[in-house]
Amino acid sequence: MQLDTALLAGFLFALAAWLILQPSFVRKLFGFVILSNAANLFVLMVSGDPAGRSAPIMGDGGVPVDPLPQALILTAIVIGFGVTAYLVMLLYRLFLDTGATVEGDGEDDGREGGER
Amino acid sequence: MTAIGLMLVIPLAAAVAMLVLGGDSRASRAVALLSPVAQLCAAVCLLARTMGSGWVVLPAGGWAAPHGIALAVDPLAALMLVVAGVTVLAGTAYSLAETGVGMGHPLRLPLMQFLSAGINLSFCTADLFNLFVAFEVLLIASYGLLTLETGGRAARHAFPYVALNAFGSVLFFCVAGLAYARFGSLGFADIARRAGEMPGDPGVAVIAVLLACVFGLKAGLFPLYYWLPRSYPILPVPLAAVFAGLLTKVGVYALIRLFATVMPHDLAGIHAAIAWVSGLTMLLGVIGAISRNFVRGILSFHILSQVAFMTLALGFFTPLSIAAAIFYIAHHIVVKSSLFLVGGVAARLNGSDDLKVMGNLWVAAPWLGVIFLAQALSLAGLPPLSGFWGKYAIAVVGIGKGEYLLVGASLLAGALTLFSMLKIWLAAFWRMEGAVVTGAGEGRTRALTWVCAAMMSLSVGIGLFAEPVMRVAQRAADVALDPGGLAVAIDAAGGKGAAR
Repeated sequence: MQLDTALLAGFLFALAAWLILQPSFVRKLFGFVILSNAANLFVLMVSGDPAGRSAPIMGDGGVPVDPLPQALILTAIVIGFGVTAYLVMLLYRLFLDTGATVEGDGEDDGREGGER
Repeated sequence: MTAIGLMLVIPLAAAVAMLVLGGDSRASRAVALLSPVAQLCAAVCLLARTMGSGWVVLPAGGWAAPHGIALAVDPLAALMLVVAGVTVLAGTAYSLAETGVGMGHPLRLPLMQFLSAGINLSFCTADLFNLFVAFEVLLIASYGLLTLETGGRAARHAFPYVALNAFGSVLFFCVAGLAYARFGSLGFADIARRAGEMPGDPGVAVIAVLLACVFGLKAGLFPLYYWLPRSYPILPVPLAAVFAGLLTKVGVYALIRLFATVMPHDLAGIHAAIAWVSGLTMLLGVIGAISRNFVRGILSFHILSQVAFMTLALGFFTPLSIAAAIFYIAHHIVVKSSLFLVGGVAARLNGSDDLKVMGNLWVAAPWLGVIFLAQALSLAGLPPLSGFWGKYAIAVVGIGKGEYLLVGASLLAGALTLFSMLKIWLAAFWRMEGAVVTGAGEGRTRALTWVCAAMMSLSVGIGLFAEPVMRVAQRAADVALDPGGLAVAIDAAGGKGAAR
């Protein structure tokens, strides 16, 4: 169970890295979505093997899984959602302002932001 | 301790109040100004208390530590809170003086309060996961501020900032998960205790290296600094001052906190790696600064080389060098943010901060010139200004440890800093021909200059009264370097559901 989760997390990290390095904005965006999910899966994976354990609910009987990593992941999902929403808006605004949908498109003449 | 709670409640309440009051009205401006003042008062109380008692702990919600969340402040954190309060106050005052009522962006000041809440939380937190949450709060506020008033093509410089910081956050989250799996707890005190019980464990070293990478990225260390000098110049002046003063320094604070208090002290290899990376960052940052030809660009690159001084001192890892790093952080935040403000006033007078266009400022605004010179020389580290003492202590420790190459690099970086500061001075203030200066005598310009002057008097004060400040820094270093102190304080704080 842990080995295949680890392999899947590794695959997702690799996929996310590949997507983020693509010039297309949409691919970069999906890269970040996958990256945060890969991290969530990773933390779930290192939190231990759930085989033979019950859900962490009071009075359910049996040895419960550790609920803390799940709480961490829940927080990270919310934060990741916020960052994704921001990235969508940022990339959309870059498209509106410069008409670019891929990196390098609508590039100015190499001047810095401060020399506007 | 209520003061710790206040550090978080005040900015959040102020931000919500400003959003309710709406727009850039007189009422919300008053709230924006009152909030940092109140935070500063609470932070000074905390500093006074922690100087005596060491750690001050607030079990959040009254629940005891392993199950509840403990917020804890020591002299180091309290000092950072004080300096952060000063910087946010200066940034807010500048922001208010810059535009008339109703002219500013309605979301700028509330977002600054959220930023402030995130920064305060990251100084108050005593566990790895809250540190992650605090970083996210301040980063998301900073993403918002970065693109709030930036239009057109400049906005694309925001993307590397967001991308690299989002990547850093994901890495940090993974490290937090790993640390929990390894140590069975996320609290600094528990991690310190359990890491101390497993000497030579490769897992501890791996987690330490990953933490160094995460916060090295946040602090802008080589080779992960690309995002910084490109994104800061697109910010409006008061925001650039707050970002430049505080954001990277939160990363440096986290590095000091984690390596001094949380991680075991025998990671000599990792400390040496931090020192060498710092040496490289220092030189590359200052060379980058020389290559720029507009004020905010030069100052942004200087952040890198200055941050590297602090991490170099951390890398030497002796009590004196950590005290020097803490002293240097306090000095640097004040000097750096005030230099951004001075640069903003100068750009306002000349209509641009491009060095080719600037000039004539010494005649039109001599006081601004005096302020700039004092801060620039302090940044370069000339005695008796505040920058000298931190660099002096770092160099003394380095020579004592036989790290002549790194000390040489730091001295060279200091000299090149002076050179690039003189470049701004000669072009903007000393050059007499060409440039047009407008609005030098206006009330608004005068108000902005007063804000800069207040910051300068603070940094000159740090320089002239270096000994008491250094004593605070030494006490902060002693408390931070004592791995058992936090655990004792958390146990003593008790709370509901305590183990006893």
